[in-house]
Amino acid sequence: MSLRSGRRVFWAAALLLCAAGLLLSLLTGPVRTPLGDLARLFRHPDPVRWAIIVDLRLSRAVLAFLVGAALSLSGAILQGYFRNPMADPFVVGVSSGASLGAVLATALGFEAAAFGFSGPGLLAFISGLGLVMFVYALSLRRGGFKVETLLLTGIAAGALASALTSFFLFMRSDSYDQAVFWLLGSFQLAEWGQVATIAPWVVLGLLASVWLARDMDLLALGDDTAQALGSPVRRVRMAFLAMSALLAALAVAVSGIIGFVGLVVPHWVRILIGPSHRRLFIASALAGGTFLLYCDLIARNLLPAELPIGVITAAVGAPFFLYLLHKKR
Amino acid sequence: MKLGGERHLRMAGGGSAYGDMYLRYVSPVLAALSLLLMSTPAATGGMPEGRGLVLTLRGHVPRVHVPYTRALRASSPTPSGVDAIPQTVADDLGHPFPLPAETPRKIVSMAPNITEILFALGLGGRVVGATRFCDWPDEAKAVPRIGGLVDPNVEVIRSLDPDLVIAFRGNPLRLVERIRKLDLPVFVLDIGRRLDDLFPLIERIGRITRTEDRAAGLAGTLHRRLRAADEALRDLPSRPSVFVLLYGQGLWTCGGESYVDDLIARAGGLNVAAAMPKKWVLYKREAIIANDPDVIFILARSTADFAAGRDRLLKMPGLSSVKAVKAGRIFEIDENAASRFGPRLVEVLVRMAALVHPERFGGAA
Repeated sequence: MSLRSGRRVFWAAALLLCAAGLLLSLLTGPVRTPLGDLARLFRHPDPVRWAIIVDLRLSRAVLAFLVGAALSLSGAILQGYFRNPMADPFVVGVSSGASLGAVLATALGFEAAAFGFSGPGLLAFISGLGLVMFVYALSLRRGGFKVETLLLTGIAAGALASALTSFFLFMRSDSYDQAVFWLLGSFQLAEWGQVATIAPWVVLGLLASVWLARDMDLLALGDDTAQALGSPVRRVRMAFLAMSALLAALAVAVSGIIGFVGLVVPHWVRILIGPSHRRLFIASALAGGTFLLYCDLIARNLLPAELPIGVITAAVGAPFFLYLLHKKR
Repeated sequence: MKLGGERHLRMAGGGSAYGDMYLRYVSPVLAALSLLLMSTPAATGGMPEGRGLVLTLRGHVPRVHVPYTRALRASSPTPSGVDAIPQTVADDLGHPFPLPAETPRKIVSMAPNITEILFALGLGGRVVGATRFCDWPDEAKAVPRIGGLVDPNVEVIRSLDPDLVIAFRGNPLRLVERIRKLDLPVFVLDIGRRLDDLFPLIERIGRITRTEDRAAGLAGTLHRRLRAADEALRDLPSRPSVFVLLYGQGLWTCGGESYVDDLIARAGGLNVAAAMPKKWVLYKREAIIANDPDVIFILARSTADFAAGRDRLLKMPGLSSVKAVKAGRIFEIDENAASRFGPRLVEVLVRMAALVHPERFGGAA
């Protein structure tokens, strides 16, 4: 199979799976919903059915898709940025910073809502971005910085933030559900307000990264070469770092830490459709969203009680990832 | 972690006394009321849990969950016509709740103690959803399940189409808020720190379900039984020390902030862990030996659990010197009743009192 026709299969499969996942999300749940109910919904809207299918299930499916797209895109950007396949939103400290902010907000009783975020969500966003800026500032050295320094600083700062998070969770041992939410993620609280909060940013992030994708391709040749070929390397790097941090922080703010999506999905996509960044960014967003949509389906339907979604992303993602990796070799 | 969390929650809950609550929340409620009448979008927001930062945000509007017209109907206009404002009560998060005109027909209870109180008020037939822990009285087991305390299912609750959801402060607050956003009338109740807090709890459930008279009747009955116990325990010459063991892994006991501590004090005993400023604490083996309790209570779900807990305790080195062990005063307390902040606490109290002071209850000293 040529790469070109392989690509076509990928796009068709991703779109089809995405549509099927969306439909499945509307039909499955603890309350039985036959297909006929979905059809009846629009002819005779009944408030209970409407609330369950539209307010709860649809908003949740859309949010899961958007968060998956954001995390995966953020991972794809960072892997290109660091020219390192191990990079993901965790590495630069966004996720740990965001969860620290959220847990701190809970511990302080900061519950007011603003801009469609809950109090902890807002603080998660701010602290996630804050930690990245801190890491970035620390790794700047007289006019330039080394990628390795940034990577290592990010890991160290992230570890520190994680330790503090665990500390605050431990101090408030009565907030068990909060702990699980912020450490393993969940879409249980999904609502349209959250969708409206993150949707514009995901779209904007995707457009901007596609627009800058050529420069990312050049960065793969090395900063000096890229500079020589006319790419404004420093500004491009800054823009990509800001974008990926923003996307990941938004994702954590609405759904807690969901691991593995940002690391694994861009890899799958790269293996399947090749390394060109323009295609990679779009495909990563689509595949990441679809992947998380299915993970959430499993998380909320596997057991009578909901599972944290982080458990599913790792359990489903890791074996599939290993398979692809070894098949390719 | 999961099981531990559930167990912890089943017995825990946060918050302060009710009088304090009223004081703290009067102003947000008034603000909300004026808001309801003027329907302007700016007001001060009710702030739950004054644990640390307290802030009021313009534009953060406390939502009122009963349609405007229905809320208005709920008020019975006084002859003078002055009091046309719908009556509202604040829940334990400070959210204003308009009193319904009549008893809700479909009630969802999100905690076992609330379910017990609803059944005690004769509302069992109207409870359409309860947690999987709601097993008292027996009829409660037949009520459709909405999930557990920390994992209630929002979708299931919505599908029951309730006209009243009573939540517990220990339910995940964010989930409770999510339910509120589905335009379901939610009322959140905390558990108390003292046995006497049971009465305002019953009174408020009676109020929001418009069964005030039955609630008063239930409270009266419980009061009488409490008074009889208090009477029997008057002018105690001594207060035996008591160690409470929660059956399970480790030496979990109740600290001074738990209502069980208050139960022990009210039963004429002294909780050896009373000085620990927590609800539930992990106790040390040496501390039991050093404190030398006169009586040991084991909260167990079954007699088999009790026996297992007692045997494990007796096997611990050094424990044979403890007074309670030497005198054979290790007793079973029904965990199912004692762990729920509901009417059965009065029975638990009477049993504890009779075990701590058998001489006052017609038993051998």
